[in-house]
Amino acid sequence: MRRAFVDTLTELAAADDRVAILTGDLGFQVFDRFIERFPDRYVNVGIAEAQVVCAAAGMARVGFRPFAYSIASFMTARPFEQIRFAVGYPRLPVVFVGAGGGYCYAQSGVSHHAPDDFALMGLVPGMTLVAPGDPHEVHDLLPQLVRLDGPSYIRIGKFGEPAYEANSPIVLGKGRILRSGRKVAVLTAGETAPIALDALERLAPDGISPTVCQFHTLRPLDTGMLAELAAAGHTAFVCAEECCPQGGLHQQVALWIQSAGLPIRHVRLGPPDEFVLGNPDRNAFRAACGFDAAGIADACRRAWHAT
Amino acid sequence: MTDDLQPLEKEARAIRATCMQMAFDGREGHLSASMTYADVLVALHRRWLRPADAASGRSADRFILSKGHGCTALYAMLAACGRIPKESLALYNHPGGPLPNHPCEHALPEIEMSAGSLGHGLGVATGMLYGLRLRGDSARVAVLLGDGECNEGSVWEAAMFAAARKLGNLLAIVDYNGIQAVGRSDDLMGHTDLAAKFRAFGWAAETLDGHDMAAIVDALSRVPFAPGRPTAIVAKTRMGVSFMEGDVVWHYRKPSADDLARALAELDAAPIHKDVP
Repeated sequence: MRRAFVDTLTELAAADDRVAILTGDLGFQVFDRFIERFPDRYVNVGIAEAQVVCAAAGMARVGFRPFAYSIASFMTARPFEQIRFAVGYPRLPVVFVGAGGGYCYAQSGVSHHAPDDFALMGLVPGMTLVAPGDPHEVHDLLPQLVRLDGPSYIRIGKFGEPAYEANSPIVLGKGRILRSGRKVAVLTAGETAPIALDALERLAPDGISPTVCQFHTLRPLDTGMLAELAAAGHTAFVCAEECCPQGGLHQQVALWIQSAGLPIRHVRLGPPDEFVLGNPDRNAFRAACGFDAAGIADACRRAWHAT
Repeated sequence: MTDDLQPLEKEARAIRATCMQMAFDGREGHLSASMTYADVLVALHRRWLRPADAASGRSADRFILSKGHGCTALYAMLAACGRIPKESLALYNHPGGPLPNHPCEHALPEIEMSAGSLGHGLGVATGMLYGLRLRGDSARVAVLLGDGECNEGSVWEAAMFAAARKLGNLLAIVDYNGIQAVGRSDDLMGHTDLAAKFRAFGWAAETLDGHDMAAIVDALSRVPFAPGRPTAIVAKTRMGVSFMEGDVVWHYRKPSADDLARALAELDAAPIHKDVP
């Protein structure tokens, strides 16, 4: 995803001289090709996240469409006041990029864990939240973020994540049906999408065929898609997310189900609300929390037989 | 010296008087953060900030009040310059009005940037100047900071960036009134030299008497103090009313009718919105 990010950013910068990127001294070699072509529009601010955000706000004020880039925990929690006050309040078009959100850096310790990036950024009124699940979604969503008149946050992973194919287009604010099934809908955001597709392969031999719907846009959430899933006879939602329980996909879907008054079983698979100690392997951590492919498959199986 | 600075000095007194009247009418204090920088504010607006120049493509110079709680002086200055109606000053701190006690650009578009949370203005100014330079626009930006505001780490993140990027069109003026919300800035900063700190960060910096109009105008005329370096002016200031000087209570205290009358008499000036012919 990081390659897709920088390649797309470079395309955008070539087409639009308002596009620039500010970093907090992170992204070693990631931006080399961008720097080669647009040296003045790459700004390494230094290890000073408040300044990354304020400088981006200033550039946006004089007509630029700046990106602000750092590791997700340092891009969101650390300069939160600057994001809220210097960018959110004046509704400036800054795209915040959190590299390695969730538990991408599981083994690097709590400092680098960012399960709370969406919860935090979602507290800023007007902030669009984007959680792409593969390089295609990064590529297609970035230009849509640059066109926004207000701020946005996009969480991107590392290098080399698998791409998936789906017929539905990648439109900001719209859910994406990755696989059409019935009865049970697996709802994903960000990198849980490819995990859910793996889970489907485990279920196929048993004749269990859930729908997989990817919500690459967490805000505004496509509640119309939720209504369509319900109307199409999905009576159980299995929500797989790699974020804290607050402010992610599950919480929003739960609120929607409640307000819609629908009898939908709703299961959350995701990390607990606690600091994760012990520097776990990311895949092992996902398995322990039940949102690896086996865990999602198990949850789907239970939901399938219960409905 | 042929430059007649008396009109500037007189206007600064009128700005102070206006701050007193607004604080009295609006029942909101922050006088020690407003009245102190009146001279600097007048000099900036009358002698330094340039309008846009269509011929060269340069946009207008900008003024950012970073310490938003000192906004009565800015509102008064905008009215004095004809950018907002003088009558609107009577609406200071009115619910739903255009002049809240921390400036909001949504309520008053004449404000360059909303303020109220300290430590943002300098960083935003650096981003503006970096962007303006990419556009080939040589507009300048002046930022007014409080001495207490310089407690914030983000001020020094911005200072580092400004020097690294050689933002010579940046001017930071620190209103060194010595008074913070609860304590005295010298005590909280360990009696250290603020101008020396800016110099250590790669700026050109000077300290001056913030009420010596000749010194202020001279300093402004020399900006940038050094080519390619951001400029800092540390202005040592007072409130300009003898019975209010040096007392931390005037960060919060609302003036009484007697305070107002005494201050206006001593300033020998009328609030600009009460002086409309």
